Formats: sequence, C-alpha cells, structure tokens
Amino acid sequence: MGGPARCSLSGVDALRTEALTKHYGRPHRGRLPAGPFVPALTDLSITVKSGEIFGFLGPNGAGKSTTIRLLLGFLHPSSGRAEVLGLDTAAASVEIRSRVGYLPGGIALYDGMTGLDLLDYLGQLYGRTPVRRHDLLERLEMSERTLARPVRDYSRGMRQKIGIIQALQHDPELAILDEPTEGLDPLMQRAFYDVLDELRVAGRTIFLSSHVLSEVERVCDRVGIIRAGRLVALEDIAALLARRKRHVELRFHGAPPDLASIPGVTGIVIHPGLLMCQLEGDVGPFLAALNGVAVADLTIEPAHLEEAFLEFYEGEERDEADLRAAVPSPRAAVAPPAAETEPRADDRTGAG
Amino acid sequence: MSLRLFRRTWAAQRLKLLAVSIGLLIWGTLMPIVYEAFKEQIQFVLGSGMIPPELAQFGGGDLFSLAGTIAVGFIHPIAVALCLVFALGFAVASVAGERQRGTLEVLLARPLSRRRIYLTLLFATVLFVAIVIAAEVAGTVIGTALGGALGELRPERLAVMWLNGVLVFSAFGAVSLAASVSFDRLAPALSVSLAIVLVSYFLEIIGSLWTAAKGLQPYSLFHYLDPRGALNGTTTIGDWLVPIVVIAVAVAVALTVFPRRDLAAPS
Repeated sequence: MGGPARCSLSGVDALRTEALTKHYGRPHRGRLPAGPFVPALTDLSITVKSGEIFGFLGPNGAGKSTTIRLLLGFLHPSSGRAEVLGLDTAAASVEIRSRVGYLPGGIALYDGMTGLDLLDYLGQLYGRTPVRRHDLLERLEMSERTLARPVRDYSRGMRQKIGIIQALQHDPELAILDEPTEGLDPLMQRAFYDVLDELRVAGRTIFLSSHVLSEVERVCDRVGIIRAGRLVALEDIAALLARRKRHVELRFHGAPPDLASIPGVTGIVIHPGLLMCQLEGDVGPFLAALNGVAVADLTIEPAHLEEAFLEFYEGEERDEADLRAAVPSPRAAVAPPAAETEPRADDRTGAG
Repeated sequence: MSLRLFRRTWAAQRLKLLAVSIGLLIWGTLMPIVYEAFKEQIQFVLGSGMIPPELAQFGGGDLFSLAGTIAVGFIHPIAVALCLVFALGFAVASVAGERQRGTLEVLLARPLSRRRIYLTLLFATVLFVAIVIAAEVAGTVIGTALGGALGELRPERLAVMWLNGVLVFSAFGAVSLAASVSFDRLAPALSVSLAIVLVSYFLEIIGSLWTAAKGLQPYSLFHYLDPRGALNGTTTIGDWLVPIVVIAVAVAVALTVFPRRDLAAPS
C-alpha cells in the first residue's frame, strides 16, 4: 500500500507562507514603462499547523485561488516564499503535489471517461493506492452504476463529488480544497463535513478555501480572512466568535438596569419593558449587573462568523474610505482592488 | 515521460488515428494506380501544351515517373491535411485545449512536472505522425503492387521517404506544441500554428509554380518534404537538417516557456 510517510511532518508546519506576493503586469523599472499592474496577493504570511483544518475565507476574487495556485506551483510568486509540508514550493513542486490532494474550484473533468475510469486514471498518476476511495464513494453516495456512466452525463453536484473523491482517495497528508461544497446539496454537504471530521481525527491537514461562512464556522479550527489580496485576519474560529458582539434582548419588569458602564456592552436601546444591546467578551459583568432586576426573559443570540466577517469588511471599507478621504492614493486611481480585478486566464499574458 | 499519461492520450486518440491512417492508406494507394493507369494520357496532355507548363511543376514537376507521381500525392493538400490532423490539430489542442477546458488543472495537480507532460505529448505527436505517414507509405506500396510496378520501388528508399515525412510533419508538430504550451486558449495557439503551415505551404507551391518566387521555397518547411528525392536517392542535407533544427528550436522554446509560465485560473 502506498501510504504517505506520516512521520515526516513531526515538528513541521503543513503550510507556511512568508510575505507571499503575486502581482500581474509590470511595475515601472528603469527605462521600461509600467505595464497594467494588478496586485493579486500582497505579503501573505500564514502558517497552517499539521492536523489542522484551516479555512481561507474571502469573497470571490479576493486572492484565495491565487494563493492556492502559488502553493501548488501553478503560479510563480512575485516575491516572498511558501513551504508546503516542509518543502519549498519553488523547488519541490512535484514532490509537494505527490503528497497533496487538490480540488480545483469549478473542477473540469474529462467528459468522455466514465467516473470510475477517471478516478482510476487520476489515482494512477499519483502512483498510490486509493485507500479512501471506497469509503468516500459510500459517504458521498456514488453508486457503481453512477460511476459506470460517462462524466458528461453527470450533474454539477456529481462532478463536484468526483472532484472531492479524486482529491482525497489516496489519503493525502494535506488536502487543498477550493470551494469544496459548491454544487453539493445540503445532505451531501453534511456528508462532506463528516468526511472532514474523520480526516481531522486521522491527523490530516485540510486547507479549505470558501466564501461560505457557515461552512468555515462548522468545520474549521482556524480561519484566515483575505480581502483584496491582503490578509485582514488570522484567528481561531472560537476566539473570533468570542470577540464578536452577541445580540442581547432583555425583557424586564420595573426599572431598566443600568448597563452603560458595563464593559463590553454597547448599542443600548431601551423601550418600556424591553432592553436591547450588543455584548462583547466576558458575559460575567453583564449578568452581575442584572442582579436585582426583575427579568422576564433573556435572549443572548450567539455570534455567527458571518457577522464577524461582515464586520471585518465593513471596518476595512470604512478605514479605506477614511484613508482615501485623507490622502488620495495614486494606486487606487490606476488600479482597482484585486477583489474586482483578479485576472483570469484569458486576459493576461502567459509568460511568468 | 509519463507512461500513464501516454496511455490515456493513446486511448483518447486511437479512433481518430485509425480513421486518419485508413484515409492516408487509401490516398497512398491511389497515386501509383493513377500513374499506371493514366501515365500515357498525362504525358500526352502535358506534351500538347493544353496545360501551362508552370502548373505541371506542382509537387516537383515530375509526373512521368512513379517517384514523381508519389511525390505529388505526398504534397497534395488532401494528404497534407490528413497528416496535419495530428501534427497540428492534436498538438495544438493537447495543452491549450485542455487549459481552455480546465482539465489541465486536474492533470497538473498530480506529481507530474510540466516538462514531463510536454515530453509525453511531444512523443505522442511524433508517434501519431509516424503512424499516419507509415499508413500513407503502406498505401503507396499497395497501390504500386496493384498497378504492377512494385519492382520500381526499393524498400530502403521507402523507409527514407517515411523518415523524411515524419521529420517534416514532426517539425510542424513541435511548432504547434510549442504554441500550445504558450497560450491559455486554443484560438491563438491554433491561429499561430495554422498561419505557419499555410504560409509555408503557400511559399512552397508558389515557388514551384512561378520561377520568380523560387527563392521563397527554402523558407517553407514543405520544401524539405522530398519524397521524390527520397525514392530516387537524391535528398539533400537540408531535407534532414532543417526539420531537425526546427524541431530542436521548438522543443527548446517549449521547455523554456512552459515550466516558467504562470497558469492562472481557467476562465
């Protein structure tokens, strides 16, 4: 059986980037005029620990796929460096790919092949036994009959399932999954999350890019949030959520409690018999302040990553707007943010 | 080279390969039969002055010998088009086509270097070209036998003719594959390759029909496709050297460009 060398990762991060930067086009250099300059990723420094499920979160065009393509050696960094499984992506791309499973976003498959032939072919190219295939086929409900059909007859969801299976069937040390649940129905999404849980238990590392916040919240240990090619947050999911403001709705009899001086409480709105506010951080002082209040009902709505995420983005946008108002940026004038302009294959020059 | 990638490529192309080989086999059979059946009529027509002498220069200007007739068959647009199904069509689509469809992503995610992928596809291109030209040569032998002129052909010269054809069309294949690895989309890769083939063909034909344009012929790769010279034992060093140099340059370009290219997300 061609299992991976598990011991090789002891003490080694599964993935590490140092000021990884990718831009397209040509900056002004010497006598050469500047070409159209599009920053796709700027100074990305992250570390993904072995055995971790890491969520890479950001809207479409934020730089998630660019990062993945840099990690796999499809793109060459403009500056900075990256290591995957302790190997430099620039020097050992082939060896890295032999130990990594990859699901591309919006995967395209060979339509003329049957699902089974395709899995066999892609598995053989790894030169490793597809030890997880049977289990994955069962969990994702891909029957033998379905596998015997040509891929051209598959629905989008079935293609995505084949994509997931081809990425994980050889039990890679690290799986890089770009928008893995795209096209899957809710039941299959849940089945996929169960697969991820099992991989986590088995000590595999997952790098998962997504713009589905609930997905990241559900499965990931840590999250990196990227915006316009820049990392804006890198935190434990639990810490991120703990720092988020919870919505509080308090129904009471008599006089409202005085919460103005309670740390972490903001946005207090009082109506007769009803108090609404946001609560951030430790809940203890808030509860202590309710001592003696005739509480009829208390609802503290848990924070969702979505709110955390949106808050990050709103905050960033406010900061940028403030910055623009104060100092007009020449770059902003000539190059819109990468979020809107990440180049596609057909609108950039090929030579790297 | 990746044997598994080659097997998959073979499996995907085998029906097309069979069809093109049968087509060239039939085409190769026709020319010697035509020569045997109509050589006197052809001589009469050409001698009568009904056809401008310039037109009689097509394909080497020798329609009075078996070798000359076979040469006309090799340079004829039908034969050239059939050979280009693989030398151009397959080569161009093998990387740029997969890139455009997005399937190259899945392949590149495996532990295969881009050089290895390229060399496998180059090998496949040359092999396919070798097979279809072998079919044309086999057709020539069958046609000559059917026409009762088999004694005029020398087996070792047939091998030389095959090798010359393989080299010239492999040169087109190498150029097309270099274009294929240089572009993200099929259309520009195909345009560049097709333009090279068409200009090359035009230069060779115009040079053979018009004396004043004869100086343009050496700039055409087709000029070095010399089946008549191969059958008569009169090939020049250029017939071998030029295609080899073109192949070497195209391979060097592809091996330099492909591994260094940024492969952005397919659109």
